Amino acid sequence: MREFKLWFGLASRLTLGGVLLVAGYLKYDEIDKSQMAVRAYEMLPIALANFIGMVLPFAEIGMGLLLILGAATRITAALGALLMVVFVIGISQAWARGLSIDCGCFGGGGQVEPGTANYITPLLRDTGLLALGIYLFRYPQSKFSLDQSSQKLNLEKRDMK
Amino acid sequence: MSAKPQPGKDNFTRNLVIGVVLGVVLIMLVPTIISKQTKLAAKIPASVSAERGYGIVFNEELTGVPVIDIYEDFQCPSCARFEGTQGQYLDSIIEDKKATVVFHTLSFLGPESVIAANAAACSADEGKFLALHKMLYQTQPRENSGAWTNEALVVAGESVGIKSKEYEKCVNNGTYADWVGNVQASAAQSDVNSTPTVFINGKELDRNAYYDPALFIAAVERG
Repeated sequence: MREFKLWFGLASRLTLGGVLLVAGYLKYDEIDKSQMAVRAYEMLPIALANFIGMVLPFAEIGMGLLLILGAATRITAALGALLMVVFVIGISQAWARGLSIDCGCFGGGGQVEPGTANYITPLLRDTGLLALGIYLFRYPQSKFSLDQSSQKLNLEKRDMK
Repeated sequence: MSAKPQPGKDNFTRNLVIGVVLGVVLIMLVPTIISKQTKLAAKIPASVSAERGYGIVFNEELTGVPVIDIYEDFQCPSCARFEGTQGQYLDSIIEDKKATVVFHTLSFLGPESVIAANAAACSADEGKFLALHKMLYQTQPRENSGAWTNEALVVAGESVGIKSKEYEKCVNNGTYADWVGNVQASAAQSDVNSTPTVFINGKELDRNAYYDPALFIAAVERG
């Protein structure tokens, strides 16, 4: 069982990290579009939305790399889960208010023709990723993780009790 | 890469990796932040007003007429449709001095939007902005297909009667590239989230009116 958990941890890391890395990679050199995507949610003051649109792709790349490599897994997974909560709130409120926007999750974004917005797919995806983030926060140990050495120490401490 | 740390190894590798990842991300982020600042020293083409979001303005001097702000990207297919539907009417109200029209040539769709907007600014110096504007939309290629090069944009200018060497130099040197960035930054501050977006006297035009000549004319005349 413990072995299975380690492998599941690896799969969670690669899935959450991989999605974050790809999402950031597809946006980081299209910052104008990324800013437009964040503004279109109409949740934040424009200046703040533009700032987040600029920083978010880079944050996603950083978090994705750390998760894939398994470095600082616990805190990165917590940040990733938090990000997913923010995305779920953003998409839900856009849906509830009847905005017609592209989620802009993997580039693109902004307003779309009324009636063509798709909110279900990103909501399901982000909810799934949120679950993985929570799991990794609770059980950060996994196969092929750079965190392993420190985990090993913690486990040894626990064993001694 | 040291993907498989040895058991019992200290945290050095892990901390190094964390440091390198954070460092690389920051090093990528800083130039991006700097490049998105409005460049006050940018060279500005003819008939541009910084107060009007760096747009190219026609009939700036008129008072008591509607002000029409058009945010568009030369590579955006809907903008080509908008120009095809409303372009002639816009040309006529500019000609007849019935409105102030401000063209904001955005560049969020990619590098070919930047060089097209630069070329449009160069054509403004030659008094040929409207002609080149129409020509670019009529011959709009697929997004970032590589069809719009500086050479192609010089040829496009020639085809609407721009003969000066200045235009060619301006296109090839990307003289107004910083200005193109300023137009985009200003649109971001004005909360423009799609193209085309039209404001009439500062009020965003209803989406239904974009591709309907009668509705559009009515909206302009209402002011």
